[in-house]
Amino acid sequence: MLSSSARATTAQEARFRIDAPNARPRTVKVIALDAGSERVLRKLAQGDWQNATFLRAPQGPSASQPVGGWLAGLAGETMNLIEEIASANVVVTLSTAGENSEMAGVVAEACRAQGKLLTALILDADGASEAALLKTLVPLRPHASMLVVASGEDYVEGMLTALRA
Amino acid sequence: MLRKEQNDLLTLTGPNSPGGAFFRSYWLPALLAQELAEPECPPVRVKLLSERLIAWRDSQGRLSLMDEFCAHRGVSLWFGRNEEDGLRCPYHGWKYDHTGQCIDVPSEPAESGYCKRIKLKSYPLIELGGVLWTYMGPPEKQPPLPEFEFAHVKPESRFVAKRLQECNWLQAMEGGIDSSHVSWLHRGELNTDPLFKGSRGNQYNLGDARPVFEVVESPGGLYIGARRNAENNHYYWRITPWVMPCFTMIAPRGNHPVHGHFWVPIDDENCWAWSFDYHSMRALTEGEVQAMKDGKGIFVKFVPGTYRPLANKDNDYLIDRVAQKEGRFYSGVEGIGMQDASLQESMGPVVDRTKENLVSTDNGIIMARHRMLKAIKALNEKGVPPPGVDPAHHRVRSAAVVLPQDQPFKEGAREALTVREGIAHASV
Repeated sequence: MLSSSARATTAQEARFRIDAPNARPRTVKVIALDAGSERVLRKLAQGDWQNATFLRAPQGPSASQPVGGWLAGLAGETMNLIEEIASANVVVTLSTAGENSEMAGVVAEACRAQGKLLTALILDADGASEAALLKTLVPLRPHASMLVVASGEDYVEGMLTALRA
Repeated sequence: MLRKEQNDLLTLTGPNSPGGAFFRSYWLPALLAQELAEPECPPVRVKLLSERLIAWRDSQGRLSLMDEFCAHRGVSLWFGRNEEDGLRCPYHGWKYDHTGQCIDVPSEPAESGYCKRIKLKSYPLIELGGVLWTYMGPPEKQPPLPEFEFAHVKPESRFVAKRLQECNWLQAMEGGIDSSHVSWLHRGELNTDPLFKGSRGNQYNLGDARPVFEVVESPGGLYIGARRNAENNHYYWRITPWVMPCFTMIAPRGNHPVHGHFWVPIDDENCWAWSFDYHSMRALTEGEVQAMKDGKGIFVKFVPGTYRPLANKDNDYLIDRVAQKEGRFYSGVEGIGMQDASLQESMGPVVDRTKENLVSTDNGIIMARHRMLKAIKALNEKGVPPPGVDPAHHRVRSAAVVLPQDQPFKEGAREALTVREGIAHASV
């Protein structure tokens, strides 16, 4: 007689795995921290995403404005950081290697307050010098529970697809 | 989550499949050297990448890996007589040399030259580091020989084994780069297994139960770093390299030998889980070798005379619910190797990745799939050799290091992640 495991691990038995959704959709917020990563997000935003919202952090002098009007959508509309993070299941920041990523600290603070984990992606690391990569990586490290250094931009799409965004 | 067509690309490795072409770009472990220990030893059946082959060593000690079946009537040459520089089919006496060339068809006049028209498909088979390796791709694209460190240390510094794993290679390999499962599935073993216990690194593991992960691309694949808090503004890092398509190493602990794996497809529903331990500076002790033979560390006990684990799906992996309840074996299955294999086999022959729900800590797995999908596409559409073919990509090490908090592990551990002769693994 076959053991329970021997029977259960056959291809025939695999066909009987229940074919019903096993998770509710997750809301993914992707926040560009610099102009280069914003450009990547604008391209990505044209795709067919079910649960992803694409946002940008302020750059330059506007970075010091109150948290309530701190974030922006890609069309330029003001977004409330706290509300966006509160409604997120997954929060991802995008940075370009060599660019300033200090704004991740503000996102991370909102994540901490809401008990959300922060994933940080650094793009275009292949062409960046070690010093340039460090400039971007060091400010992210204290905040990200998962930090990914990717050579190309296409990883963002791959990751978001894998996460069912 | 992967779409079905992506899952197929990564999991199907038979002849003429895109994933099969990918695997056929590399030298792959085929047999343990001890399986063909001497000239004229019995031939061994081998199935790799969904091709049935026969491996044998001729009278001169030359290795051969060729089509398992006689070209005449399709008899398995496992029954063949290994004699006088050839393998002779016992049915009608057709004989083949180590290249698969037929050298005798007794029913035909020798002068007819008939046998010269018969040749079985064969692949190169070479011995390196206690392993017989084969390359199953186009001969003109055969890469230089592997340079993984374990294969180049002295024999007394190395222990290699293989075990049958009854599921697709990818779900097995993904366990090797999924650092976050260790704190759960193997938590009972860190302080008890003779090949793991006693290192200072274990205390960091236990002291910080929420590691943070970093994934960085390497020329041949990935480095996956798991970071925990250490003293004085430092982090304790455990860094796992993955080299395409199926090589991983576990970060070392103390002065224990370092562990690693290959996962090589047998067919689409089975793979060989190769396990190796080695020490870059010293011979393995008798106690360490005995522990490995006893199935400790990443090794397993076998059904006698086979490479099938003693705990297998036919006996429900000898699950011990009392040990599970008491926390000795978190899943109830004994031993690190079978804890992994049992759960991976439970996913089914080829796991349906359209149903999975990955989270951000799975980025190592996501990135590995992403890189392999790109490599398969580039190889099949443009003939670009995939990462991991270049032997320079093999000269990587795993590492366990303590680094200042502001230092990227790839830079801070740059030397530690590279093979350096005469210098020990970086270990804590």
